[in-house]
Amino acid sequence: MGFDPQVIRSLPFLIDGWLLTLELTLLGAAGSLVFGHLALALQLGRHAPLRWGARLYISFMRGTPSLVQLFVLFFALPLVGLGGKPMLAAALALGLNSGAYTAEILRGNLRVVTAGQVEAAVALGMPRWRIWSRIALPQVLSASLPALINEFTILLKTTPLASVVAVTELTYAGQMVIARTYTSTQVMLLVSIGYLAVALPVIHLARRTGRSIATRRLSAGVAS
Amino acid sequence: MKFDLSVLTGYWTSLASGFGSTVWLCMASGTTAIVLGIALAIGQRRGGRLLALLIRAYTAVTLGLPLLVLLYVMFFVLPDFGVLLPARFVGVATLAIYYAPYVAEAVNAAVTAVPAGTIEAGVAIGMSPLAITRKIVVPQALPLLLPTMTGLLIGLIKDSALLSVISVHEFMFAAKEVVSATYAPLEVYFVVALVYWAVTSLVTFSTRLWEQRLGRAHLSALPR
Repeated sequence: MGFDPQVIRSLPFLIDGWLLTLELTLLGAAGSLVFGHLALALQLGRHAPLRWGARLYISFMRGTPSLVQLFVLFFALPLVGLGGKPMLAAALALGLNSGAYTAEILRGNLRVVTAGQVEAAVALGMPRWRIWSRIALPQVLSASLPALINEFTILLKTTPLASVVAVTELTYAGQMVIARTYTSTQVMLLVSIGYLAVALPVIHLARRTGRSIATRRLSAGVAS
Repeated sequence: MKFDLSVLTGYWTSLASGFGSTVWLCMASGTTAIVLGIALAIGQRRGGRLLALLIRAYTAVTLGLPLLVLLYVMFFVLPDFGVLLPARFVGVATLAIYYAPYVAEAVNAAVTAVPAGTIEAGVAIGMSPLAITRKIVVPQALPLLLPTMTGLLIGLIKDSALLSVISVHEFMFAAKEVVSATYAPLEVYFVVALVYWAVTSLVTFSTRLWEQRLGRAHLSALPR
């Protein structure tokens, strides 16, 4: 089966879409880390209403479809004067959605920070934020790495939703080429390869990181 | 633009009928995914090397491809090969195909976690393989399986909203119709989000109750 010349001519367009997909994923990942940390910090904070707010945010993001979240955000942004920016809405929706999962991943790994370490830091007179940034965060992040990489692939797999608000990422670009050339099989094959080429290496990386962290912990346990 | 829920008066019945379809679609695709997932798990354990390799490749593809892309592949590519199926059928099949490997993985992990000694004891007292499965493996694997399956069910409910893009008549699709009739997207999608949130919360809550009951039965059945 050779490729249709029309499909070959639209390759640059598909590659542009692929790059936009990567951009959306990276923007979403950055947002995810920011919102995840924020939600975690609020949950660990001293103010009860802020704690409830963070729980509510996480529960909403995990309990409703990303598609609905994207639509709500897309139609709510004009209320704050940010209408007509589909890329912003999509990146923000991805970041907010994934941030809830990131917060849960980080919270689940908080237990790697033992009480003794925190007590030692308090005894040394370290301020709270420095205990967090120098002692807790590095350990929590390294323990969370496999799960965070996994979350990154889920984020990548959520980006096609941006096509419903007319962001020309890979899936939407593919749809436009199909509408022009009527060659759905070849185009969808290229689109699928575009996603798999990113997702499969990342999934592999997540597995390897998980294994190497497990071995490191095991050998550290033997040494001590 | 202002937020006013009264625009929805008169459209509740069409939203409700869409919601009914979503429930039906989720039940159909969930059941199919469980059956297919158990078949995959058995194939991985009992099948030959070729079958195991095929299942691995299938799992990798579904792990790496966005659901929306898989949906488009099923919806646009199959007709190229002369297979014309109704959208609703394509939607249910795609959701089942997408979720089956996750089910298989969960089943595999839960069955692996059943202590080998209990199965050997069953063999030693001459129980049939079916009786061993029913009386030894399932009761011990089910409590382990339940939390993962709850997560998958919630994922399935949320992902079923995607079927609206291939014009399957479900909750999200009904919402879009109401939006085009009322021009009130924010209000409609806000209500839709709340309904999904309520449903997924209900699922989480009720399976947690079931887990607690199973957990008690599990503990009292095993002498420790």
